[in-house]
Amino acid sequence: MIRAAASIAATAILAATSALCQDHPDLQGIWTSASVVPLERPASLKGKEFYTEQEAAENAKRVLGMTSWERLGGQAPEHYNMSQYGLDLSQVKVASTLRTSLIVGPDGRVPPLTPEAQKRNAERSARNRGHQFDGPENRPLQERCLIYSTEGPPMLPSAYNSNLQIVQDSGHVAILQEMIHSARIIPTDGSPHLPSTVRQWMGDSRGHWEGQTLVVDTTNFTDKTAFRSSTAGLHLVERFTRLDKDTIVYEFTADDPATWVRPWTAQIQLTRIEGPIFEFACHEGNQGVANTLSGARAMEKAAAEAARKDSK
Amino acid sequence: MRTKLAISSVCAGLFLAVGPVRAHHSFAAEFDIKRPVKLRGIVTKMDWINPHSWIHLDAKGPEGKVVSWMIEGGSPNSLLRLGFTKTALPPGSEVVVEGFQAKDGSNRAVGQFVAFADGRKLFLGGSAPGAHGDSDK
Amino acid sequence: MFAAVILAATASAQPPSYKAPRTADGKPNLSGIWQALNTANWDIQGHAAAAGPLPQMGAIGAIPPGLGVVEGDELPYLPEAAAKKKENLANRWTADPELKCYLPGVPRATYMPFPFQIVQSAKTILFSYEYASAVRTVNMETAKEAPIDSWMGWSNGHWEGETLVVDVTGLNDQTWFDRAGNFHSDALHVVERYTARGPESLNYEALIEDPKVFSRPWKMRMVLYRHEEPNAQLLEFKCVEFVEELMYGPLRKKTGK
Repeated sequence: MIRAAASIAATAILAATSALCQDHPDLQGIWTSASVVPLERPASLKGKEFYTEQEAAENAKRVLGMTSWERLGGQAPEHYNMSQYGLDLSQVKVASTLRTSLIVGPDGRVPPLTPEAQKRNAERSARNRGHQFDGPENRPLQERCLIYSTEGPPMLPSAYNSNLQIVQDSGHVAILQEMIHSARIIPTDGSPHLPSTVRQWMGDSRGHWEGQTLVVDTTNFTDKTAFRSSTAGLHLVERFTRLDKDTIVYEFTADDPATWVRPWTAQIQLTRIEGPIFEFACHEGNQGVANTLSGARAMEKAAAEAARKDSK
Repeated sequence: MRTKLAISSVCAGLFLAVGPVRAHHSFAAEFDIKRPVKLRGIVTKMDWINPHSWIHLDAKGPEGKVVSWMIEGGSPNSLLRLGFTKTALPPGSEVVVEGFQAKDGSNRAVGQFVAFADGRKLFLGGSAPGAHGDSDK
Repeated sequence: MFAAVILAATASAQPPSYKAPRTADGKPNLSGIWQALNTANWDIQGHAAAAGPLPQMGAIGAIPPGLGVVEGDELPYLPEAAAKKKENLANRWTADPELKCYLPGVPRATYMPFPFQIVQSAKTILFSYEYASAVRTVNMETAKEAPIDSWMGWSNGHWEGETLVVDVTGLNDQTWFDRAGNFHSDALHVVERYTARGPESLNYEALIEDPKVFSRPWKMRMVLYRHEEPNAQLLEFKCVEFVEELMYGPLRKKTGK
């Protein structure tokens, strides 16, 4: 009975405090990064970092008015109908922005690759040429359900399911991406990065608060993720700032001297959605790798048989 | 600062096409554009799974024999968020499918267009964006 | 007072009640990195040590012993299900979903030999498991129904005093309880209870109900220990790349032909 009374008193005292132990901004909720604006600014808009309100509205209308097939580009026509499944961009909530590209600045494009990076890419392409269907390791990471191309960090809008959930406790900010169910738990306690011998697909993230902004520093990448040709030396700084009840401004700066001649920054608006995030168990339901390899083996067999017939 | 979609004239030439999106994986390696299929069958079950949902159906083959097919579709997560559930495609439903068959010759196809046989659209239907109303191909 | 203490002890059969420090919204704070210290993942029932599947792995690949975590150590399988369990056990080195790095489901995720982290906030509690980046969110607001089945299920939670009660439905039938072939159907319903027993450990209890497989509900119980080392954190065990040879090797292009 004494215990119960103490508990009630404790609850009354604590009810007066804010949702989080420390007085940090609340980034929690379910958010979408879906955008009508591309990562890189179209060449015709060089130097034009912002649309007028009218231009932005027209651009949004044009982008959202494309058919799913137009949006799929080279992946059509042997593709299921995206809009049937509610996966088309026009069927989800999209952030409003006046930007002409996600990459900020006068150029709005990823900086040129270093000669070293160009050489690396050329060698990688040469190695894979004619071998794209040899085995699972030749297939894209996304098709293998290892990591999604937009999963990050840094996080980018994806073709669909561009959603994430943020949950915080007093010492951590956890970012759960729908694809592929990764929970990046960012400590904000000042602890140091992992030793350099421990490298991870998603690197190692450390956060701290600068006023209203969560600043996240990520290093310790492997060379397997290869975000836009980058190396294990990729260094990422992300900033999350809650603008209002329904908006977080997410900004990242990517720096890899072995890849780009200078760092570059993109800004993406995260808009609140109702959600929920559903489980995206990719590997468990993945038929893509098996069916792709099986298809390739069938085509090779058919070609070999045709060649045998011809030589007879 | 919210920007409403305004009706306006097109500023020709100012805007270039947005780059294509990338769905989970390219189907060109898996399905054969030279093997189009058109099927009518009875749904036996639907797998509401990722990265792609699958509709299993029994269709009558050319000799009248029943053939079981798997039809590949999209991630169901968006449908679930819109309130669709398993009941949206109950076993026993009759559907028509247009798509392309697997390169390895198995009874698997990507479902370019899937609809109920009685003309009702499946889920959200159409190839046009939902915001502009549907136009089934 | 002495008599009252004895009465209380026999009535609850629990150690004296510990009250965890509170979160800002007045709830027991279960945030942290936790891990089970048992061999339940090998076999949730009591088991002696045994040789493993690969002789060349020697003692490294052998099966460690364990007391089991099932109340009464008995699993009340229905007759057909008991036969299925036997079949699973005989085929476990090919049939266990863990071999393919598949998501472990609930409750197996709790006692995988990897840590997991609880990030607790008022409306949502996140459980992030190091194994295969398995993850689930527990909805702490008005309970909602599972729209479909999934590997990690659909979790609704609420507080009962010091205990976090998590009601898990919507589990598919693809996961096992352990490496010994103990399994369930898609009718599985799990009710978990997490209670701090001290600053460094939790009592974990899972009530298992599956009328398609078991003749009655049964419970498992274990202690979960907090990782106390400085800078403790989850690392990545993204095991998909470790199983590709197993799963896709036969489809690989054969060279030298």
